[in-house]
Amino acid sequence: MAQLLLLIAGGAAAGIFGALLGLGGGILIVPLLNLGFGLPLRESIGASLICVIVTSSAAASVYLRRDVANLRLGMTLELFTASAAMAGGLIAFVLPDRVLAVMFATLLLLVAATMARDIRRAPVLESPTPRPATQGISLEPAPPGVSGEAHDGFLASLSGPGYRVRNVGLGVAGSLLAGLVSALFGVGGGIVKVPVMNLVMGVPLRVATATSNLMIGVTASAGALVYLYRGGIDPLVTAPAALGVFAGASVAARLADRVDARVLRVLFVAVLLFTASQMALKGLS
Amino acid sequence: MTTPAVRRPVGAVLAIGTGLGVALLALGVVQMVAAGTGPLDRPFPPFEPDRLVPDLLALRGRGFLSLGLLVVILTPASRVLASLIGFALERDRRMVAVALAILAVIGLSALLGASLGVGV
Repeated sequence: MAQLLLLIAGGAAAGIFGALLGLGGGILIVPLLNLGFGLPLRESIGASLICVIVTSSAAASVYLRRDVANLRLGMTLELFTASAAMAGGLIAFVLPDRVLAVMFATLLLLVAATMARDIRRAPVLESPTPRPATQGISLEPAPPGVSGEAHDGFLASLSGPGYRVRNVGLGVAGSLLAGLVSALFGVGGGIVKVPVMNLVMGVPLRVATATSNLMIGVTASAGALVYLYRGGIDPLVTAPAALGVFAGASVAARLADRVDARVLRVLFVAVLLFTASQMALKGLS
Repeated sequence: MTTPAVRRPVGAVLAIGTGLGVALLALGVVQMVAAGTGPLDRPFPPFEPDRLVPDLLALRGRGFLSLGLLVVILTPASRVLASLIGFALERDRRMVAVALAILAVIGLSALLGASLGVGV
Protein backbone atom coordinates (compact mmCIF):
# COMPACT_ATOMS: atom_id res chain seq x y z
CA MET A 1 0.00 0.00 0.00
CA ALA A 2 2.86 2.36 0.87
CA GLN A 3 4.44 1.70 -2.54
CA LEU A 4 1.14 2.46 -4.25
CA LEU A 5 0.74 5.76 -2.42
CA LEU A 6 4.36 6.69 -3.13
CA LEU A 7 3.83 5.97 -6.83
CA ILE A 8 0.71 8.14 -6.95
CA ALA A 9 2.46 10.91 -5.01
CA GLY A 10 5.55 10.69 -7.22
CA GLY A 11 3.38 10.83 -10.32
CA ALA A 12 1.51 13.82 -8.91
CA ALA A 13 4.77 15.66 -8.18
CA ALA A 14 6.00 14.96 -11.73
CA GLY A 15 2.64 16.13 -13.09
CA ILE A 16 2.73 19.39 -11.11
CA PHE A 17 6.36 20.12 -11.92
CA GLY A 18 5.96 19.22 -15.58
CA ALA A 19 2.78 21.22 -16.11
CA LEU A 20 4.10 24.31 -14.28
CA LEU A 21 7.20 24.32 -16.45
CA GLY A 22 5.35 23.59 -19.68
CA LEU A 23 6.87 20.12 -20.04
CA GLY A 24 5.18 16.77 -20.11
CA GLY A 25 5.71 14.66 -17.02
CA GLY A 26 7.78 12.15 -18.99
CA ILE A 27 11.15 13.74 -18.39
CA LEU A 28 10.58 13.20 -14.65
CA ILE A 29 8.52 9.98 -14.65
CA VAL A 30 11.21 7.88 -16.33
CA PRO A 31 13.95 8.68 -13.75
CA LEU A 32 11.40 8.43 -10.92
CA LEU A 33 10.42 4.89 -11.88
CA ASN A 34 13.88 3.77 -12.94
CA LEU A 35 16.01 5.29 -10.19
CA GLY A 36 13.37 5.66 -7.48
CA PHE A 37 11.42 2.42 -7.82
CA GLY A 38 14.04 0.25 -9.52
CA LEU A 39 11.91 -0.46 -12.57
CA PRO A 40 13.79 -1.52 -15.74
CA LEU A 41 14.41 1.45 -18.02
CA ARG A 42 12.22 0.20 -20.86
CA GLU A 43 9.25 -0.40 -18.54
CA SER A 44 9.78 3.08 -17.08
CA ILE A 45 9.66 4.53 -20.59
CA GLY A 46 6.53 2.52 -21.43
CA ALA A 47 4.76 3.77 -18.29
CA SER A 48 5.85 7.31 -19.04
CA LEU A 49 4.34 7.16 -22.54
CA ILE A 50 0.94 6.38 -21.00
CA CYS A 51 1.29 9.26 -18.51
CA VAL A 52 2.23 11.60 -21.36
CA ILE A 53 -0.83 10.56 -23.42
CA VAL A 54 -3.17 11.16 -20.48
CA THR A 55 -1.90 14.69 -19.78
CA SER A 56 -1.68 15.57 -23.46
CA SER A 57 -5.23 14.41 -24.25
CA ALA A 58 -6.67 16.27 -21.25
CA ALA A 59 -4.90 19.53 -22.12
CA ALA A 60 -5.45 19.23 -25.90
CA SER A 61 -9.23 19.00 -25.45
CA VAL A 62 -9.15 22.41 -23.74
CA TYR A 63 -6.73 23.87 -26.30
CA LEU A 64 -9.03 22.80 -29.13
CA ARG A 65 -12.15 24.13 -27.43
CA ARG A 66 -10.45 27.50 -27.03
CA ASP A 67 -9.01 27.44 -30.54
CA VAL A 68 -5.38 27.74 -29.40
CA ALA A 69 -4.05 24.61 -31.14
CA ASN A 70 -3.71 24.48 -34.93
CA LEU A 71 -5.37 21.14 -35.78
CA ARG A 72 -4.43 21.10 -39.49
CA LEU A 73 -0.78 21.85 -38.84
CA GLY A 74 -0.67 19.43 -35.91
CA MET A 75 -2.19 16.58 -37.90
CA THR A 76 0.08 17.19 -40.88
CA LEU A 77 3.20 17.08 -38.71
CA GLU A 78 2.05 14.24 -36.46
CA LEU A 79 1.94 11.95 -39.47
CA PHE A 80 5.74 12.19 -39.30
CA THR A 81 6.11 12.20 -35.50
CA ALA A 82 3.95 9.05 -35.31
CA SER A 83 5.92 7.28 -38.06
CA ALA A 84 9.20 8.07 -36.31
CA ALA A 85 7.72 7.07 -32.93
CA MET A 86 6.79 3.68 -34.35
CA ALA A 87 10.40 3.25 -35.51
CA GLY A 88 11.67 4.55 -32.16
CA GLY A 89 9.55 2.03 -30.29
CA LEU A 90 11.12 -0.78 -32.30
CA ILE A 91 14.66 0.60 -31.88
CA ALA A 92 14.19 0.94 -28.09
CA PHE A 93 13.84 -2.84 -27.79
CA VAL A 94 17.09 -3.40 -29.67
CA LEU A 95 19.28 -0.93 -27.79
CA PRO A 96 21.07 -2.19 -24.68
CA ASP A 97 19.81 -0.67 -21.39
CA ARG A 98 23.17 0.98 -20.75
CA VAL A 99 23.13 2.82 -24.07
CA LEU A 100 19.54 3.91 -23.47
CA ALA A 101 20.47 5.18 -19.98
CA VAL A 102 23.40 7.25 -21.29
CA MET A 103 21.23 8.64 -24.10
CA PHE A 104 18.53 9.57 -21.58
CA ALA A 105 21.14 11.29 -19.39
CA THR A 106 22.21 13.32 -22.43
CA LEU A 107 18.60 14.32 -23.06
CA LEU A 108 18.27 15.43 -19.42
CA LEU A 109 21.39 17.57 -19.76
CA LEU A 110 20.02 19.18 -22.92
CA VAL A 111 16.73 19.99 -21.19
CA ALA A 112 18.64 21.34 -18.16
CA ALA A 113 20.74 23.57 -20.43
CA THR A 114 17.63 24.89 -22.20
CA MET A 115 15.93 25.51 -18.86
CA ALA A 116 19.03 27.24 -17.42
CA ARG A 117 19.12 29.57 -20.42
CA ASP A 118 15.42 30.34 -19.90
CA ILE A 119 16.01 31.29 -16.25
CA ARG A 120 17.66 34.49 -17.47
CA ARG A 121 15.28 35.03 -20.37
CA ALA A 122 11.83 34.39 -18.91
CA PRO A 123 11.29 35.48 -15.32
CA VAL A 124 7.57 34.80 -15.45
CA LEU A 125 6.05 31.38 -16.09
CA GLU A 126 3.46 31.05 -18.75
CA SER A 127 0.28 29.70 -17.30
CA PRO A 128 -0.41 26.16 -18.51
CA THR A 129 -4.05 27.16 -18.60
CA PRO A 130 -4.89 27.78 -22.24
CA ARG A 131 -5.78 31.32 -23.19
CA PRO A 132 -7.81 32.42 -26.20
CA ALA A 133 -5.99 31.86 -29.47
CA THR A 134 -6.15 35.49 -30.35
CA GLN A 135 -4.27 36.62 -27.23
CA GLY A 136 -0.79 37.79 -28.15
CA ILE A 137 -1.43 37.20 -31.83
CA SER A 138 -2.13 39.85 -34.37
CA LEU A 139 -5.59 39.59 -35.86
CA GLU A 140 -4.54 41.24 -39.08
CA PRO A 141 -5.10 39.18 -42.19
CA ALA A 142 -2.30 36.85 -43.23
CA PRO A 143 0.36 38.50 -45.41
CA PRO A 144 -0.20 38.75 -49.14
CA GLY A 145 0.75 35.66 -51.07
CA VAL A 146 -0.83 33.26 -48.62
CA SER A 147 -3.21 32.11 -51.28
CA GLY A 148 -2.65 31.67 -54.97
CA GLU A 149 -0.52 28.84 -56.25
CA ALA A 150 -1.06 25.28 -55.09
CA HIS A 151 1.95 25.31 -52.75
CA ASP A 152 0.88 28.60 -51.26
CA GLY A 153 -2.63 27.21 -50.90
CA PHE A 154 -1.27 24.31 -48.89
CA LEU A 155 0.76 26.63 -46.65
CA ALA A 156 -2.26 28.89 -46.25
CA SER A 157 -4.39 25.95 -45.11
CA LEU A 158 -1.83 25.26 -42.35
CA SER A 159 -1.54 28.91 -41.32
CA GLY A 160 -3.60 30.84 -38.82
CA PRO A 161 -4.73 34.36 -38.03
CA GLY A 162 -1.74 36.69 -38.18
CA TYR A 163 0.90 34.15 -39.12
CA ARG A 164 1.93 32.21 -42.17
CA VAL A 165 3.55 28.82 -41.87
CA ARG A 166 6.88 28.47 -43.71
CA ASN A 167 9.70 25.90 -44.02
CA VAL A 168 7.40 22.88 -43.90
CA GLY A 169 10.30 20.63 -44.99
CA LEU A 170 12.31 21.57 -41.92
CA GLY A 171 9.19 21.14 -39.83
CA VAL A 172 8.85 17.59 -41.13
CA ALA A 173 12.51 16.89 -40.27
CA GLY A 174 11.97 18.26 -36.75
CA SER A 175 8.83 16.16 -36.40
CA LEU A 176 10.71 13.00 -37.32
CA LEU A 177 13.33 13.77 -34.67
CA ALA A 178 10.64 14.59 -32.09
CA GLY A 179 8.85 11.29 -32.74
CA LEU A 180 12.05 9.33 -32.35
CA VAL A 181 12.90 11.12 -29.10
CA SER A 182 9.37 10.51 -27.79
CA ALA A 183 9.38 6.74 -28.28
CA LEU A 184 13.01 6.22 -27.27
CA PHE A 185 12.73 8.18 -24.02
CA GLY A 186 9.03 8.18 -23.11
CA VAL A 187 8.66 11.94 -23.42
CA GLY A 188 6.35 14.19 -25.42
CA GLY A 189 9.06 15.60 -27.67
CA GLY A 190 7.93 19.20 -27.13
CA ILE A 191 11.55 20.21 -26.56
CA VAL A 192 12.11 19.62 -30.30
CA LYS A 193 8.68 20.49 -31.74
CA VAL A 194 8.03 23.82 -30.04
CA PRO A 195 11.30 25.51 -31.11
CA VAL A 196 10.99 24.08 -34.63
CA MET A 197 7.41 25.32 -35.07
CA ASN A 198 8.11 28.67 -33.42
CA LEU A 199 11.56 29.60 -34.75
CA VAL A 200 11.69 27.71 -38.05
CA MET A 201 8.07 27.57 -39.18
CA GLY A 202 6.95 30.98 -37.93
CA VAL A 203 4.18 29.75 -35.64
CA PRO A 204 3.52 31.98 -32.58
CA LEU A 205 4.88 30.44 -29.38
CA ARG A 206 1.49 29.98 -27.71
CA VAL A 207 0.04 28.22 -30.77
CA ALA A 208 3.23 26.15 -31.18
CA THR A 209 3.05 25.00 -27.55
CA ALA A 210 -0.64 24.06 -27.81
CA THR A 211 -0.18 22.35 -31.19
CA SER A 212 2.82 20.40 -29.86
CA ASN A 213 0.68 19.29 -26.94
CA LEU A 214 -2.05 18.15 -29.31
CA MET A 215 0.48 16.13 -31.35
CA ILE A 216 1.94 14.37 -28.29
CA GLY A 217 -1.06 12.05 -27.92
CA VAL A 218 -0.87 10.49 -31.40
CA THR A 219 2.94 10.43 -31.32
CA ALA A 220 3.13 8.71 -27.96
CA SER A 221 0.32 6.29 -28.80
CA ALA A 222 2.21 5.01 -31.88
CA GLY A 223 5.19 4.26 -29.63
CA ALA A 224 3.03 3.01 -26.75
CA LEU A 225 1.31 0.38 -28.91
CA VAL A 226 4.70 -1.17 -29.70
CA TYR A 227 5.62 -1.09 -25.99
CA LEU A 228 2.24 -2.56 -24.97
CA TYR A 229 2.39 -5.56 -27.29
CA ARG A 230 6.10 -6.15 -26.64
CA GLY A 231 5.55 -6.35 -22.86
CA GLY A 232 7.08 -2.95 -22.10
CA ILE A 233 4.13 -1.57 -20.13
CA ASP A 234 3.58 -2.80 -16.58
CA PRO A 235 -0.08 -1.99 -15.78
CA LEU A 236 0.46 -2.36 -12.01
CA VAL A 237 2.96 0.51 -12.00
CA THR A 238 1.59 2.51 -14.92
CA ALA A 239 -1.98 2.92 -13.64
CA PRO A 240 -1.12 4.56 -10.28
CA ALA A 241 1.62 6.68 -11.87
CA ALA A 242 -0.77 7.89 -14.59
CA LEU A 243 -3.47 8.70 -12.01
CA GLY A 244 -0.89 10.71 -10.04
CA VAL A 245 0.33 12.61 -13.10
CA PHE A 246 -3.25 13.37 -14.16
CA ALA A 247 -4.11 14.70 -10.67
CA GLY A 248 -0.84 16.65 -10.47
CA ALA A 249 -1.31 18.32 -13.84
CA SER A 250 -4.86 19.30 -12.83
CA VAL A 251 -3.60 20.85 -9.56
CA ALA A 252 -0.83 22.71 -11.41
CA ALA A 253 -3.38 24.70 -13.39
CA ARG A 254 -4.55 26.23 -10.09
CA LEU A 255 -1.01 26.81 -8.75
CA ALA A 256 0.42 28.49 -11.83
CA ASP A 257 -0.15 32.08 -10.72
CA ARG A 258 1.21 31.57 -7.19
CA VAL A 259 4.56 30.01 -8.02
CA ASP A 260 7.87 31.86 -8.36
CA ALA A 261 8.98 30.83 -11.84
CA ARG A 262 12.67 31.54 -11.29
CA VAL A 263 12.91 29.44 -8.13
CA LEU A 264 11.02 26.62 -9.81
CA ARG A 265 13.32 26.63 -12.84
CA VAL A 266 16.48 26.70 -10.70
CA LEU A 267 15.14 23.80 -8.65
CA PHE A 268 14.20 21.92 -11.80
CA VAL A 269 17.65 22.39 -13.35
CA ALA A 270 19.23 21.06 -10.13
CA VAL A 271 16.91 18.01 -10.17
CA LEU A 272 17.69 17.37 -13.85
CA LEU A 273 21.45 17.63 -13.33
CA PHE A 274 21.33 15.25 -10.35
CA THR A 275 19.11 12.82 -12.28
CA ALA A 276 21.33 13.01 -15.36
CA SER A 277 24.40 12.15 -13.29
CA GLN A 278 22.62 9.17 -11.72
CA MET A 279 21.41 7.89 -15.09
CA ALA A 280 24.85 8.34 -16.63
CA LEU A 281 26.48 6.52 -13.71
CA LYS A 282 24.00 3.70 -14.10
CA GLY A 283 24.67 3.47 -17.82
CA LEU A 284 28.44 3.67 -17.57
CA SER A 285 29.02 1.52 -14.50
CA MET B 1 -7.71 27.51 -39.35
CA THR B 2 -10.07 24.70 -38.45
CA THR B 3 -13.77 25.42 -38.13
CA PRO B 4 -15.55 24.92 -34.78
CA ALA B 5 -17.65 22.20 -36.45
CA VAL B 6 -14.49 20.09 -36.64
CA ARG B 7 -12.70 21.29 -33.50
CA ARG B 8 -15.50 20.85 -30.97
CA PRO B 9 -16.32 17.18 -31.56
CA VAL B 10 -12.60 16.41 -31.69
CA GLY B 11 -12.06 18.15 -28.33
CA ALA B 12 -15.06 16.31 -26.88
CA VAL B 13 -13.65 12.94 -28.01
CA LEU B 14 -10.38 13.72 -26.22
CA ALA B 15 -12.13 14.79 -23.01
CA ILE B 16 -14.43 11.75 -22.94
CA GLY B 17 -11.62 9.33 -23.81
CA THR B 18 -9.33 10.72 -21.12
CA GLY B 19 -12.07 10.64 -18.49
CA LEU B 20 -13.04 7.07 -19.38
CA GLY B 21 -9.43 5.85 -19.48
CA VAL B 22 -8.55 7.43 -16.13
CA ALA B 23 -11.75 6.03 -14.55
CA LEU B 24 -10.93 2.51 -15.78
CA LEU B 25 -7.34 2.76 -14.51
CA ALA B 26 -8.66 3.97 -11.14
CA LEU B 27 -11.07 1.00 -11.00
CA GLY B 28 -8.17 -1.31 -11.80
CA VAL B 29 -6.07 0.20 -9.00
CA VAL B 30 -8.94 -0.25 -6.53
CA GLN B 31 -9.21 -3.89 -7.59
CA MET B 32 -5.44 -4.24 -7.19
CA VAL B 33 -5.65 -3.00 -3.62
CA ALA B 34 -8.64 -5.24 -2.87
CA ALA B 35 -6.77 -8.28 -4.21
CA GLY B 36 -3.67 -7.43 -2.17
CA THR B 37 -1.55 -6.93 -5.30
CA GLY B 38 1.34 -4.49 -4.95
CA PRO B 39 2.46 -2.24 -7.82
CA LEU B 40 5.95 -3.75 -7.81
CA ASP B 41 4.83 -7.39 -7.65
CA ARG B 42 6.50 -9.56 -10.28
CA PRO B 43 5.78 -10.87 -12.83
CA PHE B 44 3.30 -8.20 -13.88
CA PRO B 45 0.25 -9.29 -15.91
CA PRO B 46 1.13 -9.04 -19.62
CA PHE B 47 -1.25 -7.48 -22.11
CA GLU B 48 -3.30 -10.32 -23.60
CA PRO B 49 -6.15 -9.13 -25.86
CA ASP B 50 -7.77 -12.58 -25.77
CA ARG B 51 -8.21 -12.37 -22.00
CA LEU B 52 -9.67 -8.87 -21.98
CA VAL B 53 -13.38 -9.77 -22.17
CA PRO B 54 -13.24 -12.78 -19.78
CA ASP B 55 -11.29 -10.67 -17.25
CA LEU B 56 -13.81 -7.83 -17.50
CA LEU B 57 -16.77 -10.20 -17.13
CA ALA B 58 -15.14 -11.71 -14.05
CA LEU B 59 -14.48 -8.15 -12.73
CA ARG B 60 -10.76 -8.87 -12.42
CA GLY B 61 -8.45 -5.93 -11.85
CA ARG B 62 -6.22 -6.81 -14.78
CA GLY B 63 -9.23 -6.51 -17.11
CA PHE B 64 -9.89 -2.92 -16.00
CA LEU B 65 -6.20 -2.07 -16.16
CA SER B 66 -5.80 -3.51 -19.68
CA LEU B 67 -8.96 -1.79 -20.95
CA GLY B 68 -7.90 1.47 -19.27
CA LEU B 69 -4.52 1.33 -21.00
CA LEU B 70 -6.16 0.59 -24.34
CA VAL B 71 -8.66 3.43 -23.98
CA VAL B 72 -5.87 5.88 -23.05
CA ILE B 73 -3.68 4.76 -25.96
CA LEU B 74 -6.54 4.78 -28.48
CA THR B 75 -8.04 8.12 -27.41
CA PRO B 76 -5.68 10.10 -29.70
CA ALA B 77 -6.55 7.71 -32.56
CA SER B 78 -10.24 8.34 -31.86
CA ARG B 79 -9.47 12.05 -32.08
CA VAL B 80 -7.96 11.48 -35.53
CA LEU B 81 -11.05 9.49 -36.56
CA ALA B 82 -13.32 12.32 -35.39
CA SER B 83 -11.18 14.79 -37.35
CA LEU B 84 -11.43 12.57 -40.43
CA ILE B 85 -15.23 12.62 -40.25
CA GLY B 86 -15.25 16.40 -39.72
CA PHE B 87 -12.90 17.07 -42.62
CA ALA B 88 -14.83 14.64 -44.84
CA LEU B 89 -18.04 16.56 -44.13
CA GLU B 90 -16.20 19.73 -45.15
CA ARG B 91 -14.93 17.95 -48.29
CA ASP B 92 -11.32 18.66 -47.33
CA ARG B 93 -9.68 15.81 -49.23
CA ARG B 94 -6.14 16.67 -48.22
CA MET B 95 -6.87 16.48 -44.49
CA VAL B 96 -8.93 13.32 -44.95
CA ALA B 97 -5.88 11.73 -46.61
CA VAL B 98 -3.63 12.94 -43.77
CA ALA B 99 -6.02 11.51 -41.16
CA LEU B 100 -6.20 8.17 -42.99
CA ALA B 101 -2.40 8.03 -43.17
CA ILE B 102 -2.09 8.71 -39.43
CA LEU B 103 -4.59 5.95 -38.64
CA ALA B 104 -2.61 3.62 -40.91
CA VAL B 105 0.61 4.40 -39.00
CA ILE B 106 -1.12 3.74 -35.65
CA GLY B 107 -2.56 0.48 -36.99
CA LEU B 108 0.85 -0.53 -38.32
CA SER B 109 2.40 0.15 -34.89
CA ALA B 110 -0.08 -2.25 -33.29
CA LEU B 111 0.48 -4.86 -36.00
CA LEU B 112 4.26 -4.66 -35.75
CA GLY B 113 4.20 -4.81 -31.95
CA ALA B 114 1.81 -7.78 -31.99
CA SER B 115 3.74 -9.67 -34.66
CA LEU B 116 7.08 -9.20 -32.90
CA GLY B 117 5.64 -10.33 -29.56
CA VAL B 118 7.05 -9.82 -26.08
CA GLY B 119 10.54 -8.44 -26.34
CA VAL B 120 11.53 -7.27 -22.85
